[in-house]
Amino acid sequence: MNMTETDNFSEKESLKLIDEMIGKAKESYVTKGIASIVWGSLITFCGLANWVEVHYHKNFGDVWLLTLIALIPQIYFSIKEKKRKSFISHNEITINYVWIAFTFSMFITSFYFSHFRLGNVSPLIMMLFAIPTFIIGGMTRFRPMVFGGVFCFAASVTSMFTTVEIDLLLMATCGMVAWLIPGLIKWGKYKKGKSANV
Amino acid sequence: MFKELDPILHSQLRLAVVSLLISVKEAEFTFLKEKTNATAGNISVQINKLKDAGYVEVTKQFKDNYPQTLCKITQKGVLAFEEYVNALRSYMPDT
Repeated sequence: MNMTETDNFSEKESLKLIDEMIGKAKESYVTKGIASIVWGSLITFCGLANWVEVHYHKNFGDVWLLTLIALIPQIYFSIKEKKRKSFISHNEITINYVWIAFTFSMFITSFYFSHFRLGNVSPLIMMLFAIPTFIIGGMTRFRPMVFGGVFCFAASVTSMFTTVEIDLLLMATCGMVAWLIPGLIKWGKYKKGKSANV
Repeated sequence: MFKELDPILHSQLRLAVVSLLISVKEAEFTFLKEKTNATAGNISVQINKLKDAGYVEVTKQFKDNYPQTLCKITQKGVLAFEEYVNALRSYMPDT
């Protein structure tokens, strides 16, 4: 569209232009899904490693501490992404707050359960996995994430009636369904969109 | 009865800029230029007109040693845009 400073355009054209520009702005919000892939892989790995520990009576140390280390690449990628982008969307700000709230909730819950030596934390952890996944999936209209959120809620309920071993496998599956697979889908879409623009 | 259209917004490029800015929290000048396919000179003039009308806030700063121009719609701009869209609707036949 070659736009000039003119008011010789109809009301219908005005509405069409508004619609087109809002659409362009929405399309610009493309995430690569790297953070989702990293986090999903890590949860899957930690869940499986912890399951191996319990099932085969091994001791690898606290594998879940790896989630703390994973924050470093997450922060690095988000800073890199922020530098690259030429706009900030409204959704993006909300999404960041949701993830910050999730991170705090995860650490508080984990600390509370381990410090007071309370029972099985798995149902709560999987419920916490579900909340940001379901909200962000719905906000961005990304169905794989909505499905991932629903899966985590279902896994949370299931884990109330299962053994710790099964809970760990459920947690690994949650990491895969809620983040790893949606992340890979996003990455695929990003790559496809990039090659289409070349 | 037809409502009067805001002359500041009833211009292709200015309307395009405001429509983009209403969809984001803030955007760089380069983003607006790329999405509207306008020339730097033309878009700069239009942004200044929107700024003078109080519809857009412009911040100039440095990012990695390069100058950066950030644009953000103001509350006055949001209200003007809403009124403009409502006025446009009065021109549309009822469906």
